[in-house]
Amino acid sequence: MQRNFPWCSPGAIGLLVLLFCLLRLDVGVSWAEQAVAYRLKWLINMSTVGDVYAKEKGLFAARGLAVDLRAGGPERDAIRELELGHAHFGVASADQVIHALAKGSPVVVLAQLFQANPLQWIYFKDRVRIDALADLKGKTIGVTFGKNDEIIMRTLLARADIGDRDVRLYSVRLDYTPFFSGRADLWPVYINSQGVEIGQRLTAAGESIGFFEPEAHGVRFVANSVVTSERLLAEQPELVERFMSALLAGWRGALDPANAAEAVALVRRYDQDTASEVLQAQLTATRPLVQPMDGPPVGHIDIEAWQQTEAMMRRYGQIDRPVNVAERLRR
Amino acid sequence: MLLRRIYQFMMIYGLGVLCLLALKMVADLSDYVIPGLDTLWHTFREVAWRYTLDVWDTLRVAMIGQVLSIGLALLVGIVGRQATWFGSFIKVAAYNVQAYPIVAIAPIIFILLGDGFLSRLLIAAMICYFPLLLSVVGIMSQPIPDIEHFYRQTGRMRWQLEVKIRAFENLSKLTTVIVGSATLAMAGTIVAEFIAAGAGIGYSIRIALYQSDLAKILVALFMIGITLSVYQGVLERAGHWVKQVWSG
Amino acid sequence: MLLECRNINFRYPGNEALLFQELSLVIDTPGFHALFGPSGVGKSSLAKIISGQLTAEQGAVRYHNDGRVLYGYNLERLPGWSSVGRHLERVTPAHHRSLKEALIEAFGLAEVMDRHFSRLSLGQQNRINLLRYLVQDFNALIMDESLANVDEKTREQILLTIKEMFPDALFLYISHNVVEVAAFCRQILVLRGLHKMPRVVTVQGQDRMKGREIDRQGLQQTMLEIMNAA
Repeated sequence: MQRNFPWCSPGAIGLLVLLFCLLRLDVGVSWAEQAVAYRLKWLINMSTVGDVYAKEKGLFAARGLAVDLRAGGPERDAIRELELGHAHFGVASADQVIHALAKGSPVVVLAQLFQANPLQWIYFKDRVRIDALADLKGKTIGVTFGKNDEIIMRTLLARADIGDRDVRLYSVRLDYTPFFSGRADLWPVYINSQGVEIGQRLTAAGESIGFFEPEAHGVRFVANSVVTSERLLAEQPELVERFMSALLAGWRGALDPANAAEAVALVRRYDQDTASEVLQAQLTATRPLVQPMDGPPVGHIDIEAWQQTEAMMRRYGQIDRPVNVAERLRR
Repeated sequence: MLLRRIYQFMMIYGLGVLCLLALKMVADLSDYVIPGLDTLWHTFREVAWRYTLDVWDTLRVAMIGQVLSIGLALLVGIVGRQATWFGSFIKVAAYNVQAYPIVAIAPIIFILLGDGFLSRLLIAAMICYFPLLLSVVGIMSQPIPDIEHFYRQTGRMRWQLEVKIRAFENLSKLTTVIVGSATLAMAGTIVAEFIAAGAGIGYSIRIALYQSDLAKILVALFMIGITLSVYQGVLERAGHWVKQVWSG
Repeated sequence: MLLECRNINFRYPGNEALLFQELSLVIDTPGFHALFGPSGVGKSSLAKIISGQLTAEQGAVRYHNDGRVLYGYNLERLPGWSSVGRHLERVTPAHHRSLKEALIEAFGLAEVMDRHFSRLSLGQQNRINLLRYLVQDFNALIMDESLANVDEKTREQILLTIKEMFPDALFLYISHNVVEVAAFCRQILVLRGLHKMPRVVTVQGQDRMKGREIDRQGLQQTMLEIMNAA
């Protein structure tokens, strides 16, 4: 009796060899570059120009890293993804980091991307005049309840000794209608992205606008930073080193005025809805926030600012115990 | 009926929390990712009353939205039940429009109507309206020949009688649809609040999400679940009562 | 001629085969007649064509002076929101109130008037259903298995009552009970299978009336004729 072994036929063997070669090829790629997941805080825009630059210019690849740049959003939380093992690195705001630390999350700050917080409040100069903090009294101010702009604004109001009854906090929505229609006097914007876009539009329409800057009044609330897990830092310090070296090189390269056109073009690959001219203006606005003139190097961690951020959060009941955030900052 | 719904919810909720706690233990996750029981209890005591008021606020909008939807669905369903061109048009329009995701229209509603009560109400009503309409049109356009035959033979059939016969014969189905639509109305209101409103439990969940506070979200889900269970139980009981009274 | 169906062609939508082809029948006199035949031969369909519920592709149905033809069947239900008595009150024309009361008595239904339809036995339900048709204004009534599930004695009493109370109306009684149709009906229209010609054969029944005993031999003869025709 003849027994059939279909898997021994020449065709099947050929197929297996081909499959093996393909797999081998694929594995070969994986071996050459280490896969790294990097979760951003928000969508890819000019605030992530350094991240995009590092990836697109091959700075990660040159250090043996295949970085998956993952856009963030309101429902994304990089710190949670680090702990669950879904990401290796992430971008988180200082309040997120401090919240996480207060709940025992093993998160470590590797670099502070923004030396100045881009969050400011836009206002119409012909309707509102703000020279000092006391001028906030009686105003209707947009805040996103639960987010860092609420804490920043409450700190500013406390500094000016303005009570809840002297000001009206207006819950911020997805659109700017309450601000445009005059229902709110001040509206929070990121100065380097929305600030540029709306500012240009309003200026073109003949409006005179101003920006209210919390840091000018002594409130320093740290914004976006690069974070990872304690475990990754302890187990693969060399990976962390390679990633951070590429990332910071990317930011330096992106902010170099000589590379401006290229940086804009690279961001535009991801953010096709924003015109190149606007992106150009956004890059110009981003530069001093990340790399202030005569300031510290890109990625510098401003410990005092972090401590002040923690103090503000404690004061407004965002955390119920000190977390000594300075100990979790990798200097 | 009412107690059974609450037991069922408590069991499902308890199971869900136990699964989360098991995951927390197995993966050694911090309270930031999954809160422990003590954090949950602490958060519950801290926000329970506030969230109860928020859920009541949401439920109030959902109930009004649901009543409006039921009224409108009955009206359109009664018109759409007829085998005339207008009836067919209403049916086809209802089937097509309901396929459009209301959530996608929500931002436009907020821009046009602002972020107050009216927007929440409209979105809640719209989300629970279309499934209701489809069921009502289905029920109203399905003849009950065993009962209707006599009235047609003797020339007594009027549209009011036809609607009455079909509603009576499908009362259990209608009750189930209305009870089910309560979930949709509640979900619609929460979605509306989550997107842009300034009040209600959806708004509180959004804030908790900004703060990455899963404990608050779990407490909010508990409050929503309990409230919805009670509301659905009451609706079921009301349907049962109506049937009893109507059947003599 | 009281009722005439001439050259009726009919098929249900989606069916290629005709159920009736060139079917004709005539009933000349009022009284209690039967439509008899095996299951599936088309008795109910023919009844619906006669009562105007179904429309024939071809042919005509004519009733003398365009009289009113009603069609009732045994699976009908009354609405569940009111009692049987209340329902009958609503559907009985004012000039038939005394007729209604007489029929309730004759049909043995006085005790169930305050009950709901769903709580009655099948036999009671069928009697109630037939009763509400009888109190309408009609010239002809097609009774499709209208006395199913009713015991033999009550059925006999009901049939005799109907014949006595409605001498001028035309009844077309659809039943599978050959003894019953042979005994009580004046004419039995036997509807035969599709390939038998003619489709309808008329057999003279015993037409039993109240107070008149039936001729046993005649009955047997009629039954034989019916069975042969079918």
